[in-house]
Amino acid sequence: MKLLAALSLLIISLTIFGLYLAERQVTAETQHDLRQAFDAELALLRTAREFRHASVIERCHALVHKPRIHAALEDGALDLLYPNAASELGKVLVPGNEEEPLARRSTRARFYRFLNAKGALIPPVVAAEVGELAAEDEQKLSFKSLPEEQQSGYFWMDGNREVVEVIVTPIISTEDGQAIAALVAGFPVAGGERLAPEIQSGLWLDGRLYFQALAEPLRAGLNAKVTEAVTSGEDAAKGGVEVQLGGGRFMLFCESLNPNGLFQTAHEVAIYSLADLLSRQRDLRWRAGGAGALLLLLGIGASFYVSARLAAPVRELAAVSAENRVLREKAEAALKVKSDELLRTARFSADASHQLKTPVAVLRAGLGELIAYGGQTPEAREEISMLLQQTSRLTSIIEDLLLLSRLDAGRVQLEVETVNLTGLVESCVEDLEVLHGFPADCVETNIPPSLMIDGQKRYTHIVVHNLIENARKYNCPGGRIRITAYEEGSTVFLRIANNGHSIPESSREHIFERFHRGGMNENVPGHGLGLNLARELARIHGGDLRLVRSDGEWTEFEARFHSAKVDAKNAEA
Amino acid sequence: MNSCKILYFAVAFAGAISIAAAADCAVEGRVELPKLRRAPVVNKRYEIVSSAGVLAPFPAFAVVYLEGRFPQPQALPVAQMAQKDLAFVTPLLPVRVGTKVEFPNLDNTYHNIFSFSPSKRFDLGRYTSAERPIPSQTFEKAGLITLRCDIHEHMRGLVLVVDTPHFIPTDSEGRFKLGGLPAGSYKLKAWIDSKTTLEKNVDLIAGQTLRVEFP
Repeated sequence: MKLLAALSLLIISLTIFGLYLAERQVTAETQHDLRQAFDAELALLRTAREFRHASVIERCHALVHKPRIHAALEDGALDLLYPNAASELGKVLVPGNEEEPLARRSTRARFYRFLNAKGALIPPVVAAEVGELAAEDEQKLSFKSLPEEQQSGYFWMDGNREVVEVIVTPIISTEDGQAIAALVAGFPVAGGERLAPEIQSGLWLDGRLYFQALAEPLRAGLNAKVTEAVTSGEDAAKGGVEVQLGGGRFMLFCESLNPNGLFQTAHEVAIYSLADLLSRQRDLRWRAGGAGALLLLLGIGASFYVSARLAAPVRELAAVSAENRVLREKAEAALKVKSDELLRTARFSADASHQLKTPVAVLRAGLGELIAYGGQTPEAREEISMLLQQTSRLTSIIEDLLLLSRLDAGRVQLEVETVNLTGLVESCVEDLEVLHGFPADCVETNIPPSLMIDGQKRYTHIVVHNLIENARKYNCPGGRIRITAYEEGSTVFLRIANNGHSIPESSREHIFERFHRGGMNENVPGHGLGLNLARELARIHGGDLRLVRSDGEWTEFEARFHSAKVDAKNAEA
Repeated sequence: MNSCKILYFAVAFAGAISIAAAADCAVEGRVELPKLRRAPVVNKRYEIVSSAGVLAPFPAFAVVYLEGRFPQPQALPVAQMAQKDLAFVTPLLPVRVGTKVEFPNLDNTYHNIFSFSPSKRFDLGRYTSAERPIPSQTFEKAGLITLRCDIHEHMRGLVLVVDTPHFIPTDSEGRFKLGGLPAGSYKLKAWIDSKTTLEKNVDLIAGQTLRVEFP
């Protein structure tokens, strides 16, 4: 269940993150698309405008180069000017049919007139042939002097109902290079018509907006926006700004058309409706949302499936780990029990040994006193003597046990000193003769004089004594004892061998265990603690004790100790 | 001098001979021709150049003619103003009033020669070298006629129509000799360009050659 919840949570957060990214992407892309579409349409509009402008300018140029026009002006035949213009220009300059699309109509002149060398209007013969104009509009076409270069400008005409683009083309005499006349031609311009699919274009001139395709309240609103844009700075809205017009959103574009000309600057105004784009964006968002929801459902379904698939092994694992835990707990408990037992045992043997020491000492003293008083039968004396012997053995066992339990408890603190191993061995060998009557010639010693080791004399003595005692006890009748010691590096080796029976392979592991007695010499006095104690003590000295040989000829133990040579040398120094 | 020039020299010469029976006066001299310092507006190749709105042939020459009352001949020879290499072969053609001038097209393209000049307005329409009869106009009124081609806007030609049989173009130095003139008082005129015609009163005495310098 937890896994399922986690997976579901993960998937939901991933999906939400994905949706968030998708939303951002959609917004960014729509913005980008909008910008691109707008730029494309604007480019289209500009291209169309430039194309149209180039086209009409070229027409005017071509017109003013016509030999007949020049002939009429230069050869003194002004009466032939308008008739020839009419025939020369043919359909080019006749007023366009209102039914035609603007793109075609806009390259056809609404009217044309000629100006004389002084810039005054040359009146047409038949006004209908050159596009009729109201007197006040015709008045606007005159100049104080002729422009030297072609000029274009925009004028409100027809009682401010229409804007026309007026192109003034000077006619330069081929005879003297002077402007001898000018052609003034007026072309219709877009008044809010859709020139590109999404874009409507019109003009802003003299504080008024020529945007007939837009209804009045919207036009007034747009006029305010454009006036603001125009007066706020040079082509402020050239790149397009977003505006709110009568509940709809539009991109507004505004660019001055003839900034450095003779005429009043006009601004081209284009609006690009965002309605379609916004609806597309909304649509896209809905689709993204739908896709997200679907994804979420799929994800949750998938998480169910996956968690079900994942849960099986996890459950198994959980079961196994539960088992493992039980086992471990058991093992820990057992270990604790063992450790407690061990501690208890160690404490018990320590306590027991300690508690036993006093009564044994009392017993021994009592038995000693009993013999000292005398008066017993020889049998009784022998009995008491044997008991006394047993108590001293008991004391030795108790002491060994006490030492062992202290070793087990880690409570033996070595007070390391320099021990003369050679002296130690010699005194033990002496004891062999004195105490046990072991023949001195059966003991071979090969020990360098004054072999010094690090250790505590009391414990190293036990090691050496126990080893030599064992060699004596477990020797064959008439067997020899060989004691060798030597030094290698910082280690001192002490080898003690006898001619005892070979220790069976199977027993060799056990000879160092407590209360093990080799299973063979039950008559031999001992309690099976000697080797164990010797090894434990050798180990706390940083050395060890091992059996190196037991082949029936020689059974040899080797004890290692730390050499005290360095210290001795230091001491000497 | 090309063939057309030879032609009108011949015409002038024939005219002079015919009058020589009645009189045997002559005028000779020199017209100081304008030095065209400024680069012509129209390419040099074209032989009518304009400078400050003044049309003149290039290289420069003048037309000297004697004004007076002279009897009308029965028939006048036909003159020609041909177009070749998109230019008029003769930049300036002087003819007597009433002369018929043909305008043959010697190019492989259309020409449309016309004139809006007040003394003679005409339009020959488009025609090729194959056009027969050769398009022509008869010049009934004295004056300078500017010829243009409606197709080739750079083409310009001049026809100087004078009301006298006694006229002659100068050489490129401005020298002229007009012979076979009747004795009497006349005006001797020198047409230099479209805006400049110099004139001098001359009294011609039979059998004498008068020397006149313009200006």
